[in-house]
Amino acid sequence: MTTAGPVGNISQTPRMIASDLTVRAHPSGGGGWNRRARTAPYLFLIPYFLVTLVFFLYPLIYATILAFYQTNGPTSRAFVGLNNFRFVLSDPDFHTALWNTTVFAFFSIFLQLPLSLALALMLNVRSARLKSFFRLAIFAPNLVGQVFVGILFTMLFAPRYGLINKMLHALVGKGLEMNWLQDPSLVMPALIICSLWMYVGFNMIYFLAALQNVDQSLVEAAKIDGAGPWNIFRSVTVPAIMPVATFVVITSTVGSFQLFELPYILLQGFGPRNSGMTVVGYLYNFAFDTGDLGTGAAVGWLLTFIILIISLVQLRLSGTMRNDR
Amino acid sequence: MLLAIVSGAVIFASSQNEWADGKPDLIFATFTKEHAESYRPAIAIFEKENNCRVQLQVVDSRALTGRLQSAIQAGAEVPDMVELLDGSMGTFTKGPIKDVGFIELNDYLKRDGLDKALVSNRFVKWSSRGHIFALPHDVHPVMLAYRRDLVEDLKIDVNKLTTWDEFARVGREVTKDLDGNGVVDRYMIDLAEDGGRIGLFLMQAGGGLFDANGDVAFDSEAGVDALYFYVKQMRGNTRTAFSCGWGQNFAKSVIDGLCLFYICPDWRTKQFQLDVASMNGKMALMPLPAFKEGGIRTSTWGGTGLAFTKQCRDFELAWKLAKHLYYDERQLGARFAATNILPPLKSAWQLPEYSAPREFYSGQAIGTLYASLAPFVPEEQSSPYATAASAKFAEAFTNAKLYYEARYEKYGDAGLRDYIAAELKRTADQVRRQIKRNVFLSDTGQVK
Repeated sequence: MTTAGPVGNISQTPRMIASDLTVRAHPSGGGGWNRRARTAPYLFLIPYFLVTLVFFLYPLIYATILAFYQTNGPTSRAFVGLNNFRFVLSDPDFHTALWNTTVFAFFSIFLQLPLSLALALMLNVRSARLKSFFRLAIFAPNLVGQVFVGILFTMLFAPRYGLINKMLHALVGKGLEMNWLQDPSLVMPALIICSLWMYVGFNMIYFLAALQNVDQSLVEAAKIDGAGPWNIFRSVTVPAIMPVATFVVITSTVGSFQLFELPYILLQGFGPRNSGMTVVGYLYNFAFDTGDLGTGAAVGWLLTFIILIISLVQLRLSGTMRNDR
Repeated sequence: MLLAIVSGAVIFASSQNEWADGKPDLIFATFTKEHAESYRPAIAIFEKENNCRVQLQVVDSRALTGRLQSAIQAGAEVPDMVELLDGSMGTFTKGPIKDVGFIELNDYLKRDGLDKALVSNRFVKWSSRGHIFALPHDVHPVMLAYRRDLVEDLKIDVNKLTTWDEFARVGREVTKDLDGNGVVDRYMIDLAEDGGRIGLFLMQAGGGLFDANGDVAFDSEAGVDALYFYVKQMRGNTRTAFSCGWGQNFAKSVIDGLCLFYICPDWRTKQFQLDVASMNGKMALMPLPAFKEGGIRTSTWGGTGLAFTKQCRDFELAWKLAKHLYYDERQLGARFAATNILPPLKSAWQLPEYSAPREFYSGQAIGTLYASLAPFVPEEQSSPYATAASAKFAEAFTNAKLYYEARYEKYGDAGLRDYIAAELKRTADQVRRQIKRNVFLSDTGQVK
């Protein structure tokens, strides 16, 4: 896809821009200046390429190599071929971590995003009072770091004295001793509640921005044609916000698969029966707790492939890839 | 990038300024402010006596362990001496002995008679394959702290609570819903729901996560005994325990009398004094009940060790400082009075501070009480896989709790014990699998 702008086509290559500059600056041409003008764009790009090389490409290649070694810290290593991958794929703890991460990602998408959209729809109503206040209030938890949220919810979830259990007990007469963070069946709900509090507002802002850009003339036209609120939402709003929704779904999925700090702080580790262990937690455990960077790198690559496949499937399903037409 | 270059230059310049007066003779890193504060006066004396400069650094424990190991292996600059947190020695001993970044201390301990003067069991947790790599800072025997006022009101004779069976029997009587609202208001003991403290029960029962050869050993009869006891205190109609947690919740539990007894290593006695000061004179200590009549009445929880890196610039000076801080009786009396932590130097226990009655603990001489149990503190083997083993042991416990809820009624005690044994075997095998794939763990220093 290309976009034309006042300075021309932004898909032009540096070589094309360079020759443009040359022609504009010196229509008559000129050896040394020509060369310099031709190389200038590349010089401007060097810092970017250097940073990419040092902080992205080199680590990427090194991690690839490392995945085939077992290491004892950064210097001792032994080539083990595909053994790291074999070990990880057959390790019950990795299966647990993958399952936990998938469950978390599932709820992020199917619970968190609809909630975000619902809140955005409510705040998008023109007559809504105190819109700015609610927008800020709902978004504010996202300004707080995951570590702080972890500590905060540790206190909220405390059995007997925690606010959440006290509220449950007051409402239904049960639940005072629910041990959210030490009962394996409650750990995941606890994580989901925390992440809802943190991220619903964040995603709501995206949806709100998308809703505010929905072409109102289409909405008016649909109303004139007799469409009700549901039909307008389904046939006008949803298609209009689909690109943003796809973006939010993909970033939420990627973010969910990268979950680490929240359970690590909230559970002071990975929780009973590893019920709060995520794939990144599993990676961290190997790479930094046991010093086996090789196995950590192998987990990193597996995670990359998982995220890549899921993202491609999501793009495919949402039809975004086909929208290049 | 410009920002990075400028910041780098500023950091470099400031580090040059820092060393402008000359580098200190020793750099000593610790992970806790409390330790650092208690060492500062002693270090000032040492500097004067030895005409040297010691720099004390406080570094987060996780960073200290992880980054120190990386720095040692990468040959980067590291402190001369480092205090290590309980369980962290395994991180440094994952490879062959020759690759361990600390100086081996066996000969020095023997030379100065410390091998005899200290509680010998405490060397084990700072050793790997018979090589001692750190000096023990403490013994950390475990007792039970209890609300003496409430226990006396309930006419519980703590002298008769000599076994866990008896303790549990009494516990079942006093664990009650006092106001009839369906919620238990009083429990016998505070035990972590996630099994965070089962390790000390395992050791008291005669087991350990690892044996002396470094092999996984928690799938033993002692492991079954420990889990069986713990599960039965946490679930069903035999329940006597509640998980009080930490911090404010813990303090409120103590004050409310929600639990009567609390697992209490020496270091925790100070926490009680600070966190629940209003309980002054209402608390007391007793030895742990034994698993069997006549069995050991204590266990251990936690520990700190002092290691010397191989890059240490003046080992003899560092060794002298270590002895001054850890084993100089001039320091140890006042330090016990301030921290309640029992040092491993046996002769120090005779100092007056150790036999002084403590008002908070109903006039008990807590130093004497802990010292009387210190010789019986079980050995705790260190291993690079200690964290993994501990997590797997706790996993077996969690599964046993679920089994109890679902099947205990049908299969009874025998079924529970069989299930625990099978779970311990399964989880221990998972750790064995991890150890087996470590190509570096070889005594010869050769990659297998």
